[in-house]
Amino acid sequence: MLAVGLAAGFAMHRSDFCIAGAFRDVFLFGSTFMLKMTGIAVLAAMALIEALRVTGIAPSVAGGPPTLGNLPGGIIFGFGMVLAGGCAVGILYKTGAGNASALAALAGAVTGSGLYAELHPALLPFTTGALGTKATTLPQLLELSPALPAGLTVAAGGWFLFRMARKGELSRGGSARGYIEPWITASLLALLTAGAVAVTGMPLGITTFYAKTAAWLENLAAPGHVSSLAYFGAAGFKLTTPLGIEIKGGAGPVFDSIALIQGATIAGILGGSFLSSLALGEFRPRFAIPARHYLTAFAGGVILALGARIGFGCNVWYVLGGLPAFKLQAVLFTAGLFPGAWLGGLLLKRLI
Amino acid sequence: MADEPVKEILLDLRGQICPSTLLVALREMNALRSELKAKTVRIIILTTNRDSTVTIPGAAANMGYEVSVETEEDAYRIVIGLHGD
Repeated sequence: MLAVGLAAGFAMHRSDFCIAGAFRDVFLFGSTFMLKMTGIAVLAAMALIEALRVTGIAPSVAGGPPTLGNLPGGIIFGFGMVLAGGCAVGILYKTGAGNASALAALAGAVTGSGLYAELHPALLPFTTGALGTKATTLPQLLELSPALPAGLTVAAGGWFLFRMARKGELSRGGSARGYIEPWITASLLALLTAGAVAVTGMPLGITTFYAKTAAWLENLAAPGHVSSLAYFGAAGFKLTTPLGIEIKGGAGPVFDSIALIQGATIAGILGGSFLSSLALGEFRPRFAIPARHYLTAFAGGVILALGARIGFGCNVWYVLGGLPAFKLQAVLFTAGLFPGAWLGGLLLKRLI
Repeated sequence: MADEPVKEILLDLRGQICPSTLLVALREMNALRSELKAKTVRIIILTTNRDSTVTIPGAAANMGYEVSVETEEDAYRIVIGLHGD
Protein backbone atom coordinates (compact mmCIF):
# COMPACT_ATOMS: atom_id res chain seq x y z
CA MET A 1 0.00 0.00 0.00
CA LEU A 2 3.03 2.24 0.48
CA ALA A 3 3.92 1.80 -3.20
CA VAL A 4 0.29 2.48 -4.17
CA GLY A 5 0.34 5.69 -2.14
CA LEU A 6 3.72 6.77 -3.55
CA ALA A 7 2.50 6.36 -7.13
CA ALA A 8 -0.80 8.14 -6.39
CA GLY A 9 0.88 11.03 -4.54
CA PHE A 10 3.48 11.52 -7.25
CA ALA A 11 0.99 11.51 -10.13
CA MET A 12 -1.66 13.58 -8.32
CA HIS A 13 0.90 16.28 -7.61
CA ARG A 14 2.14 16.32 -11.20
CA SER A 15 -1.40 16.65 -12.61
CA ASP A 16 -2.73 18.67 -9.64
CA PHE A 17 -5.50 16.05 -9.65
CA CYS A 18 -7.91 17.78 -7.29
CA ILE A 19 -11.16 15.82 -6.92
CA ALA A 20 -12.60 18.54 -4.65
CA GLY A 21 -11.94 20.96 -7.50
CA ALA A 22 -13.61 18.58 -9.95
CA PHE A 23 -16.95 18.90 -8.14
CA ARG A 24 -16.47 22.53 -7.04
CA ASP A 25 -15.49 23.97 -10.43
CA VAL A 26 -18.67 22.77 -12.11
CA PHE A 27 -20.51 25.34 -9.98
CA LEU A 28 -17.80 27.91 -9.25
CA PHE A 29 -16.28 28.31 -12.72
CA GLY A 30 -18.62 26.32 -14.99
CA SER A 31 -15.71 23.97 -15.78
CA THR A 32 -16.36 20.25 -16.18
CA PHE A 33 -12.87 19.21 -17.30
CA MET A 34 -11.68 17.70 -14.01
CA LEU A 35 -15.07 16.08 -13.38
CA LYS A 36 -14.67 14.33 -16.74
CA MET A 37 -11.16 13.28 -15.68
CA THR A 38 -12.61 11.87 -12.45
CA GLY A 39 -15.15 10.11 -14.66
CA ILE A 40 -12.24 8.43 -16.48
CA ALA A 41 -10.98 7.10 -13.14
CA VAL A 42 -14.48 5.76 -12.36
CA LEU A 43 -14.96 4.17 -15.80
CA ALA A 44 -11.53 2.55 -15.87
CA ALA A 45 -11.98 1.25 -12.32
CA MET A 46 -15.42 -0.09 -13.30
CA ALA A 47 -13.90 -2.14 -16.12
CA LEU A 48 -11.09 -3.42 -13.88
CA ILE A 49 -13.31 -4.22 -10.87
CA GLU A 50 -15.76 -6.06 -13.12
CA ALA A 51 -12.83 -8.03 -14.57
CA LEU A 52 -11.75 -8.91 -11.01
CA ARG A 53 -15.30 -10.09 -10.26
CA VAL A 54 -15.69 -12.15 -13.42
CA THR A 55 -12.31 -13.84 -12.96
CA GLY A 56 -13.11 -14.53 -9.31
CA ILE A 57 -10.03 -12.67 -8.06
CA ALA A 58 -12.16 -10.27 -6.01
CA PRO A 59 -15.83 -11.34 -6.07
CA SER A 60 -17.07 -8.16 -4.37
CA VAL A 61 -16.04 -4.78 -2.99
CA ALA A 62 -16.41 -4.22 0.77
CA GLY A 63 -19.41 -2.27 2.05
CA GLY A 64 -22.92 -2.94 3.33
CA PRO A 65 -26.40 -1.78 2.32
CA PRO A 66 -27.11 1.94 2.07
CA THR A 67 -28.10 3.84 5.19
CA LEU A 68 -29.59 7.19 6.10
CA GLY A 69 -26.11 8.66 6.69
CA ASN A 70 -24.75 8.22 3.16
CA LEU A 71 -26.47 11.14 1.39
CA PRO A 72 -26.11 13.79 4.15
CA GLY A 73 -22.56 12.51 4.72
CA GLY A 74 -21.81 13.25 1.07
CA ILE A 75 -23.35 16.73 1.30
CA ILE A 76 -21.37 17.58 4.45
CA PHE A 77 -18.17 16.09 3.01
CA GLY A 78 -18.64 17.99 -0.28
CA PHE A 79 -19.14 21.25 1.60
CA GLY A 80 -16.08 20.60 3.77
CA MET A 81 -13.74 19.55 0.97
CA VAL A 82 -14.36 22.78 -0.93
CA LEU A 83 -13.53 24.89 2.14
CA ALA A 84 -10.54 22.66 2.93
CA GLY A 85 -9.13 23.21 -0.57
CA GLY A 86 -8.90 19.47 -1.17
CA CYS A 87 -10.60 16.16 -0.56
CA ALA A 88 -9.46 13.37 1.77
CA VAL A 89 -6.49 12.67 -0.47
CA GLY A 90 -6.12 16.15 -1.99
CA ILE A 91 -5.13 17.68 1.33
CA LEU A 92 -2.50 14.92 1.61
CA TYR A 93 -0.76 15.41 -1.72
CA LYS A 94 -0.90 19.18 -1.26
CA THR A 95 0.58 18.89 2.24
CA GLY A 96 3.31 16.62 0.90
CA ALA A 97 4.18 19.27 -1.66
CA GLY A 98 4.54 21.91 1.07
CA ASN A 99 1.18 23.69 1.03
CA ALA A 100 0.55 25.22 4.46
CA SER A 101 -3.23 25.61 4.13
CA ALA A 102 -3.52 21.90 3.24
CA LEU A 103 -1.62 21.11 6.44
CA ALA A 104 -4.21 23.19 8.33
CA ALA A 105 -6.97 21.22 6.58
CA LEU A 106 -5.27 17.98 7.63
CA ALA A 107 -5.15 19.18 11.24
CA GLY A 108 -8.84 20.05 10.87
CA ALA A 109 -9.62 16.56 9.56
CA VAL A 110 -7.95 14.96 12.58
CA THR A 111 -9.77 17.38 14.92
CA GLY A 112 -13.09 16.75 13.18
CA SER A 113 -12.60 12.99 13.51
CA GLY A 114 -12.02 13.44 17.26
CA LEU A 115 -15.12 15.61 17.48
CA TYR A 116 -17.14 12.92 15.70
CA ALA A 117 -16.14 10.37 18.34
CA GLU A 118 -17.90 12.58 20.92
CA LEU A 119 -21.02 12.89 18.75
CA HIS A 120 -21.05 9.24 17.65
CA PRO A 121 -23.58 7.90 20.21
CA ALA A 122 -26.08 10.65 19.35
CA LEU A 123 -25.62 10.38 15.58
CA LEU A 124 -25.35 6.61 15.16
CA PRO A 125 -29.09 5.79 15.41
CA PHE A 126 -29.69 8.20 12.53
CA THR A 127 -26.64 7.46 10.35
CA THR A 128 -27.14 3.68 10.47
CA GLY A 129 -30.88 3.95 9.78
CA ALA A 130 -31.88 1.40 7.13
CA LEU A 131 -33.22 2.45 3.75
CA GLY A 132 -35.39 -0.61 3.25
CA THR A 133 -33.05 -2.69 1.15
CA LYS A 134 -30.43 -5.29 1.92
CA ALA A 135 -28.94 -4.90 -1.54
CA THR A 136 -25.45 -3.37 -1.47
CA THR A 137 -25.21 -2.62 -5.19
CA LEU A 138 -27.49 -1.27 -7.90
CA PRO A 139 -27.39 -4.54 -9.91
CA GLN A 140 -28.41 -6.45 -6.74
CA LEU A 141 -31.30 -4.03 -6.21
CA LEU A 142 -32.44 -4.47 -9.82
CA GLU A 143 -31.64 -8.21 -9.78
CA LEU A 144 -29.29 -7.87 -12.73
CA SER A 145 -25.85 -9.26 -13.44
CA PRO A 146 -23.25 -6.49 -12.78
CA ALA A 147 -21.82 -7.25 -16.23
CA LEU A 148 -24.80 -5.55 -17.92
CA PRO A 149 -24.66 -2.08 -16.28
CA ALA A 150 -20.85 -2.20 -16.19
CA GLY A 151 -20.64 -3.11 -19.86
CA LEU A 152 -23.16 -0.47 -20.92
CA THR A 153 -21.60 2.29 -18.78
CA VAL A 154 -18.05 1.53 -19.91
CA ALA A 155 -19.15 1.36 -23.55
CA ALA A 156 -21.09 4.66 -23.36
CA GLY A 157 -18.33 6.37 -21.37
CA GLY A 158 -15.68 4.98 -23.71
CA TRP A 159 -17.51 6.37 -26.73
CA PHE A 160 -17.79 9.77 -25.02
CA LEU A 161 -14.04 9.72 -24.23
CA PHE A 162 -13.20 8.62 -27.77
CA ARG A 163 -15.05 11.68 -29.06
CA MET A 164 -13.27 13.89 -26.54
CA ALA A 165 -9.91 12.49 -27.64
CA ARG A 166 -10.69 13.08 -31.31
CA LYS A 167 -11.51 16.70 -30.58
CA GLY A 168 -8.29 17.05 -28.59
CA GLU A 169 -10.30 17.71 -25.41
CA LEU A 170 -8.60 15.06 -23.30
CA SER A 171 -5.38 17.04 -23.15
CA ARG A 172 -5.04 20.17 -21.08
CA GLY A 173 -1.58 21.20 -22.23
CA GLY A 174 -0.42 22.31 -18.80
CA SER A 175 2.73 24.40 -18.70
CA ALA A 176 3.77 23.55 -15.13
CA ARG A 177 7.08 21.73 -14.73
CA GLY A 178 6.81 17.95 -15.16
CA TYR A 179 3.10 18.14 -15.94
CA ILE A 180 1.28 14.84 -16.37
CA GLU A 181 -2.02 15.02 -18.24
CA PRO A 182 -4.88 14.32 -15.78
CA TRP A 183 -6.32 11.46 -17.88
CA ILE A 184 -3.09 9.55 -17.29
CA THR A 185 -3.33 10.09 -13.52
CA ALA A 186 -7.03 9.14 -13.63
CA SER A 187 -6.12 5.86 -15.34
CA LEU A 188 -3.38 5.24 -12.79
CA LEU A 189 -5.79 5.90 -9.89
CA ALA A 190 -8.18 3.34 -11.37
CA LEU A 191 -5.36 0.81 -11.62
CA LEU A 192 -4.29 1.48 -8.02
CA THR A 193 -7.90 1.22 -6.79
CA ALA A 194 -8.35 -2.09 -8.59
CA GLY A 195 -5.05 -3.28 -7.12
CA ALA A 196 -6.28 -2.36 -3.63
CA VAL A 197 -9.56 -4.21 -4.24
CA ALA A 198 -7.70 -7.28 -5.50
CA VAL A 199 -5.42 -7.41 -2.46
CA THR A 200 -7.54 -6.05 0.41
CA GLY A 201 -11.09 -6.42 -0.91
CA MET A 202 -11.56 -2.72 -0.16
CA PRO A 203 -11.21 0.49 -2.16
CA LEU A 204 -8.48 2.93 -1.12
CA GLY A 205 -9.29 4.29 2.33
CA ILE A 206 -7.89 7.29 4.14
CA THR A 207 -10.16 8.88 6.72
CA THR A 208 -10.35 6.16 9.38
CA PHE A 209 -6.64 6.78 9.89
CA TYR A 210 -7.44 10.45 10.56
CA ALA A 211 -9.76 9.25 13.34
CA LYS A 212 -7.08 6.87 14.57
CA THR A 213 -4.61 9.75 14.72
CA ALA A 214 -7.13 11.75 16.75
CA ALA A 215 -7.51 8.77 19.09
CA TRP A 216 -3.72 8.39 19.48
CA LEU A 217 -3.28 12.10 20.24
CA GLU A 218 -6.21 12.19 22.69
CA ASN A 219 -4.90 9.02 24.28
CA LEU A 220 -1.73 10.87 25.27
CA ALA A 221 -3.74 13.39 27.33
CA ALA A 222 -6.87 11.53 28.38
CA PRO A 223 -6.63 7.74 27.94
CA GLY A 224 -9.58 7.13 30.24
CA HIS A 225 -11.83 9.34 28.13
CA VAL A 226 -10.69 7.70 24.88
CA SER A 227 -11.43 4.22 26.19
CA SER A 228 -14.90 5.39 27.24
CA LEU A 229 -15.82 6.46 23.68
CA ALA A 230 -17.78 3.82 21.80
CA TYR A 231 -16.51 4.93 18.38
CA PHE A 232 -12.89 4.33 19.33
CA GLY A 233 -13.80 0.94 20.78
CA ALA A 234 -15.67 -0.32 17.73
CA ALA A 235 -14.19 -2.46 14.96
CA GLY A 236 -15.69 -0.77 11.90
CA PHE A 237 -13.89 -3.10 9.50
CA LYS A 238 -14.36 -6.86 9.57
CA LEU A 239 -13.70 -8.72 6.36
CA THR A 240 -11.72 -11.47 4.70
CA THR A 241 -9.52 -10.29 1.85
CA PRO A 242 -9.49 -12.04 -1.54
CA LEU A 243 -6.18 -13.56 -0.39
CA GLY A 244 -7.97 -15.08 2.62
CA ILE A 245 -6.49 -12.79 5.27
CA GLU A 246 -8.80 -11.68 8.11
CA ILE A 247 -8.94 -7.90 8.48
CA LYS A 248 -10.34 -6.43 11.65
CA GLY A 249 -9.84 -2.92 12.84
CA GLY A 250 -11.25 0.50 13.44
CA ALA A 251 -10.54 4.00 14.67
CA GLY A 252 -9.25 3.04 18.11
CA PRO A 253 -5.73 3.94 19.27
CA VAL A 254 -4.23 0.56 18.43
CA PHE A 255 -1.98 -0.63 15.63
CA ASP A 256 -4.34 -2.89 13.69
CA SER A 257 -4.81 -3.90 10.03
CA ILE A 258 -6.47 -0.57 9.24
CA ALA A 259 -3.54 1.34 10.72
CA LEU A 260 -1.23 -0.68 8.51
CA ILE A 261 -3.26 -0.40 5.28
CA GLN A 262 -4.41 3.22 5.54
CA GLY A 263 -1.27 4.44 7.31
CA ALA A 264 0.94 3.04 4.55
CA THR A 265 -1.30 4.58 1.86
CA ILE A 266 -1.18 7.98 3.56
CA ALA A 267 2.58 7.84 4.11
CA GLY A 268 2.96 6.90 0.44
CA ILE A 269 0.82 9.80 -0.82
CA LEU A 270 2.67 12.30 1.39
CA GLY A 271 6.01 10.85 0.32
CA GLY A 272 5.09 10.63 -3.37
CA SER A 273 4.02 14.25 -3.66
CA PHE A 274 6.99 15.35 -1.53
CA LEU A 275 9.42 13.56 -3.85
CA SER A 276 7.63 14.93 -6.93
CA SER A 277 7.76 18.53 -5.72
CA LEU A 278 11.36 18.13 -4.51
CA ALA A 279 12.48 16.74 -7.87
CA LEU A 280 10.87 19.74 -9.61
CA GLY A 281 12.44 22.23 -7.19
CA GLU A 282 8.93 23.22 -6.06
CA PHE A 283 9.08 22.14 -2.43
CA ARG A 284 9.12 25.59 -0.84
CA PRO A 285 6.58 25.75 2.02
CA ARG A 286 5.16 29.25 2.50
CA PHE A 287 3.48 29.96 5.79
CA ALA A 288 2.92 33.69 5.16
CA ILE A 289 -0.59 33.37 3.78
CA PRO A 290 -3.72 35.20 5.02
CA ALA A 291 -4.97 33.91 8.39
CA ARG A 292 -8.46 33.43 6.95
CA HIS A 293 -7.02 30.83 4.56
CA TYR A 294 -5.76 28.80 7.53
CA LEU A 295 -9.10 29.17 9.31
CA THR A 296 -11.13 28.26 6.21
CA ALA A 297 -8.97 25.21 5.51
CA PHE A 298 -9.05 24.05 9.14
CA ALA A 299 -12.84 24.45 9.34
CA GLY A 300 -13.17 22.66 6.01
CA GLY A 301 -11.06 19.80 7.35
CA VAL A 302 -13.27 19.49 10.44
CA ILE A 303 -16.45 19.44 8.33
CA LEU A 304 -14.93 17.02 5.79
CA ALA A 305 -14.09 14.57 8.57
CA LEU A 306 -17.58 14.82 10.07
CA GLY A 307 -19.05 14.13 6.63
CA ALA A 308 -16.81 11.10 6.16
CA ARG A 309 -17.88 9.61 9.49
CA ILE A 310 -21.59 10.37 8.99
CA GLY A 311 -21.44 8.93 5.46
CA PHE A 312 -19.17 5.98 6.48
CA GLY A 313 -16.47 6.85 3.94
CA CYS A 314 -14.84 9.55 1.89
CA ASN A 315 -14.73 10.46 -1.79
CA VAL A 316 -11.73 8.21 -2.45
CA TRP A 317 -13.53 5.23 -0.95
CA TYR A 318 -16.85 5.96 -2.64
CA VAL A 319 -16.14 7.82 -5.90
CA LEU A 320 -13.00 5.96 -6.95
CA GLY A 321 -13.86 2.57 -5.45
CA GLY A 322 -17.56 2.23 -4.60
CA LEU A 323 -19.12 3.93 -7.61
CA PRO A 324 -17.27 1.71 -10.12
CA ALA A 325 -18.75 -1.30 -8.29
CA PHE A 326 -22.24 0.32 -8.32
CA LYS A 327 -22.36 0.36 -4.51
CA LEU A 328 -25.59 2.05 -3.41
CA GLN A 329 -23.78 3.77 -0.55
CA ALA A 330 -21.40 5.29 -3.10
CA VAL A 331 -24.23 6.43 -5.38
CA LEU A 332 -25.89 8.29 -2.47
CA PHE A 333 -22.63 9.76 -1.13
CA THR A 334 -21.52 10.92 -4.60
CA ALA A 335 -24.95 12.45 -5.25
CA GLY A 336 -24.50 14.40 -2.02
CA LEU A 337 -21.10 15.76 -3.08
CA PHE A 338 -22.70 17.96 -5.78
CA PRO A 339 -25.00 20.10 -3.57
CA GLY A 340 -22.28 20.10 -0.90
CA ALA A 341 -19.67 21.40 -3.33
CA TRP A 342 -22.12 23.99 -4.66
CA LEU A 343 -22.83 25.32 -1.16
CA GLY A 344 -19.12 25.22 -0.30
CA GLY A 345 -18.30 27.26 -3.40
CA LEU A 346 -20.92 29.89 -2.49
CA LEU A 347 -19.35 30.34 0.95
CA LEU A 348 -15.77 30.14 -0.31
CA LYS A 349 -16.32 33.08 -2.68
CA ARG A 350 -17.26 35.21 0.33
CA LEU A 351 -14.39 34.01 2.47
CA ILE A 352 -11.53 34.38 -0.03
CA MET B 1 -3.02 56.49 -25.03
CA ALA B 2 -0.61 54.24 -26.91
CA ASP B 3 2.38 56.21 -25.63
CA GLU B 4 1.34 55.94 -21.98
CA PRO B 5 3.49 53.56 -19.94
CA VAL B 6 1.72 50.31 -19.15
CA LYS B 7 0.83 50.08 -15.45
CA GLU B 8 1.81 46.80 -13.83
CA ILE B 9 -0.19 45.27 -10.98
CA LEU B 10 1.70 42.56 -9.13
CA LEU B 11 -0.28 39.97 -7.15
CA ASP B 12 1.84 37.68 -5.01
CA LEU B 13 -0.47 34.69 -4.37
CA ARG B 14 2.20 32.10 -3.60
CA GLY B 15 1.11 29.40 -1.17
CA GLN B 16 -2.54 30.47 -1.06
CA ILE B 17 -5.44 28.07 -0.62
CA CYS B 18 -6.94 26.53 -3.76
CA PRO B 19 -8.74 28.10 -5.74
CA SER B 20 -7.86 31.51 -4.32
CA THR B 21 -5.44 32.23 -7.17
CA LEU B 22 -8.05 31.80 -9.89
CA LEU B 23 -10.74 33.65 -7.90
CA VAL B 24 -8.45 36.63 -7.30
CA ALA B 25 -7.27 36.61 -10.92
CA LEU B 26 -10.87 36.62 -12.21
CA ARG B 27 -11.82 39.38 -9.78
CA GLU B 28 -8.89 41.54 -10.89
CA MET B 29 -9.50 40.87 -14.59
CA ASN B 30 -13.14 41.94 -14.18
CA ALA B 31 -12.26 45.01 -12.12
CA LEU B 32 -9.65 46.12 -14.65
CA ARG B 33 -11.60 45.13 -17.75
CA SER B 34 -11.54 48.55 -19.42
CA GLU B 35 -7.86 49.13 -18.66
CA LEU B 36 -6.93 45.66 -19.97
CA LYS B 37 -8.91 46.28 -23.15
CA ALA B 38 -7.28 49.71 -23.55
CA LYS B 39 -3.93 47.95 -22.99
CA THR B 40 -2.93 50.39 -20.26
CA VAL B 41 -2.53 47.80 -17.54
CA ARG B 42 -0.84 44.41 -17.13
CA ILE B 43 -1.57 42.00 -14.29
CA ILE B 44 1.33 39.90 -13.05
CA ILE B 45 0.48 36.95 -10.81
CA LEU B 46 3.04 34.97 -8.84
CA THR B 47 1.68 31.57 -7.88
CA THR B 48 2.85 28.19 -6.67
CA ASN B 49 -0.47 26.60 -7.63
CA ARG B 50 0.24 24.30 -10.58
CA ASP B 51 -3.38 24.18 -11.69
CA SER B 52 -3.43 27.97 -12.06
CA THR B 53 -0.88 27.74 -14.88
CA VAL B 54 -3.68 26.16 -16.91
CA THR B 55 -6.88 27.71 -15.57
CA ILE B 56 -5.84 31.39 -15.45
CA PRO B 57 -4.41 31.49 -19.00
CA GLY B 58 -7.56 29.70 -20.20
CA ALA B 59 -9.85 32.27 -18.53
CA ALA B 60 -7.74 35.23 -19.71
CA ALA B 61 -7.61 33.95 -23.30
CA ASN B 62 -11.39 33.45 -23.27
CA MET B 63 -11.76 37.10 -22.30
CA GLY B 64 -9.54 38.07 -25.22
CA TYR B 65 -6.41 39.06 -23.30
CA GLU B 66 -2.84 38.20 -24.13
CA VAL B 67 -1.43 35.86 -21.52
CA SER B 68 1.84 34.07 -20.84
CA VAL B 69 3.25 31.73 -18.20
CA GLU B 70 6.89 31.87 -17.20
CA THR B 71 8.62 29.44 -14.87
CA GLU B 72 10.66 31.16 -12.19
CA GLU B 73 12.82 29.58 -9.54
CA ASP B 74 10.24 29.70 -6.74
CA ALA B 75 6.98 30.38 -8.57
CA TYR B 76 5.08 30.55 -11.82
CA ARG B 77 4.71 34.07 -13.23
CA ILE B 78 1.48 34.60 -15.15
CA VAL B 79 1.28 37.83 -17.14
CA ILE B 80 -2.16 39.00 -18.30
CA GLY B 81 -2.49 41.95 -20.66
CA LEU B 82 -0.33 43.67 -23.22
CA HIS B 83 2.90 41.83 -24.03
CA GLY B 84 5.98 42.59 -26.10
CA ASP B 85 6.23 46.37 -25.68
